[in-house]
Amino acid sequence: MLKLDNIEAGYGNTRILHGVSLEIPKRGLVALLGGNGTGKSTTLKAIMGLVGLQSGTVTVDGRDMAGIAPEARAGLGLSLVPQGKEAFGAMSVEDNLRMGAYHRRKDRAGIAIDLEAVYTRFPRLKERRRVAAGMLSGGERQMLSIGRSLMSRPSVLLLDEPSAALAPKIVEEIAEAILGLRELGLTLLLVEQNVGMALDIADRLYVIRGGRIAHETAVGDGIAMSELQEFYLGGHQDA
Amino acid sequence: MDLFLQYLANGIVVGSSYVLVAVGLTLIFGILGIVNFAHGEFYMLGGFAGIGLATVLGLPLIVSLLGVVAFAALLGFLAEQILNRQVKDKDPTNSIVSSFGLAVVLQNAALLVIGPQPMLLRTDLSMVPVEIGPVYLPLQRALIPVAMIVLVGALHLLLRYTWVGMSLRAMAQQPTVARMCGIRVSRVAIVTFMTGAVFAGVAGFLMSSVFMVHPLIGNMIVLKAFTVVILGGMGSVTGAAAAGLMLGIVESMTSAYLGNGLRDIVGFLMVVIVLLAWPQGIFGRKLERS
Repeated sequence: MLKLDNIEAGYGNTRILHGVSLEIPKRGLVALLGGNGTGKSTTLKAIMGLVGLQSGTVTVDGRDMAGIAPEARAGLGLSLVPQGKEAFGAMSVEDNLRMGAYHRRKDRAGIAIDLEAVYTRFPRLKERRRVAAGMLSGGERQMLSIGRSLMSRPSVLLLDEPSAALAPKIVEEIAEAILGLRELGLTLLLVEQNVGMALDIADRLYVIRGGRIAHETAVGDGIAMSELQEFYLGGHQDA
Repeated sequence: MDLFLQYLANGIVVGSSYVLVAVGLTLIFGILGIVNFAHGEFYMLGGFAGIGLATVLGLPLIVSLLGVVAFAALLGFLAEQILNRQVKDKDPTNSIVSSFGLAVVLQNAALLVIGPQPMLLRTDLSMVPVEIGPVYLPLQRALIPVAMIVLVGALHLLLRYTWVGMSLRAMAQQPTVARMCGIRVSRVAIVTFMTGAVFAGVAGFLMSSVFMVHPLIGNMIVLKAFTVVILGGMGSVTGAAAAGLMLGIVESMTSAYLGNGLRDIVGFLMVVIVLLAWPQGIFGRKLERS
């Protein structure tokens, strides 16, 4: 369960988020849509604690995250799959995955089990386990990013634009992989610019614009793609 | 040919000390992004501490070595508090300027406390000859490359196969992702500084039987170490090891065949050429598909 209650955040004196609220029930998959510079990434950074909150609260599984350092949040079930498919480029695929389990590094048996589970989910990573992560293709690196997050045994997983800079066929593969994560009982927040992908897999959509939630709707409410795009592209004036 | 081999051996001995100093410098730069101009002072203080323990207190060499390690680790810990913890979050150039300041403070503190008189470590080992074919080295010099190989080998294993080492590499490659994995920046910074200081301090102790130790010796050694770091590729440990040995050998040959006056110039000449031709360093490489 992830809950943002009226959070305001920014850098220095510049405020980016002006009261963002959203709630994802356990096992829910919610998409946060918005263009560049609307506050999507800042929202994720605020959840992870990389950007300090000026007001409001972030709650993960009923626990207030206030005062908890970013590096301590991995141990509390919160994990981010970062934008740009960032990996430890000079380290092998397998070492990258192991790093995801850093906060429970004493649990050797558990790590071995989780490693096998990631390889079963992404067989491509098993083939490439000895390769340096920097040599992977974009799609493989996205799988690696997701796999690394899974190694932390998260309950809430945040995905920052997993479809960015990938070929349509690969995007489909990644979308399927994300759907597969629901079976693990994860609470998922998908931040995207790709409306089509979000409509395909999410059960609830939020549109963010100018650091505020401009629109909120359940998927399957007969929502029209054109209506959504109007919000998303900013054709609609703020209410 | 016999003389050539002797010069080669001398170069390897001096080069080994460059490796030990440069490895720490390249780690601190690669992991924390800090250019540490006070690194030469770890070397200088390691030399004085060793001479103090071995000559003044008359402790056995191995005990003195352990004492130098402990002392240098403490120095590294304190330097991290000053150069990283206090100033780094405000502006990255702060740590460069404050490391300059720390270097000056430590040099003058050494001048005040120990005095300007150069000192040399004299041990019984200097009487024990090691002869490999035509090459002759006193045992205490022959042990310097051995110590370097042991220390760099241990560091290599630590970085590759332990969680501490992997967290250091992760922090060097993707600091934000590393934090998201639960790695604490402050802990990595302390480990990095302590490792760097221990390597430099041990180098200072080992070399105190070859070159005289004095309070300003850190100035030259830190420039040599920067030369090595640039030649080897910023942040690369294997690059620093290879480039350090290379610089030691080239200097030894220059001094033997071209004249001793050119000895300290040749390294800087190499830096200029390398930066023009291979800005990544001779051994630096990019492992990232763009």
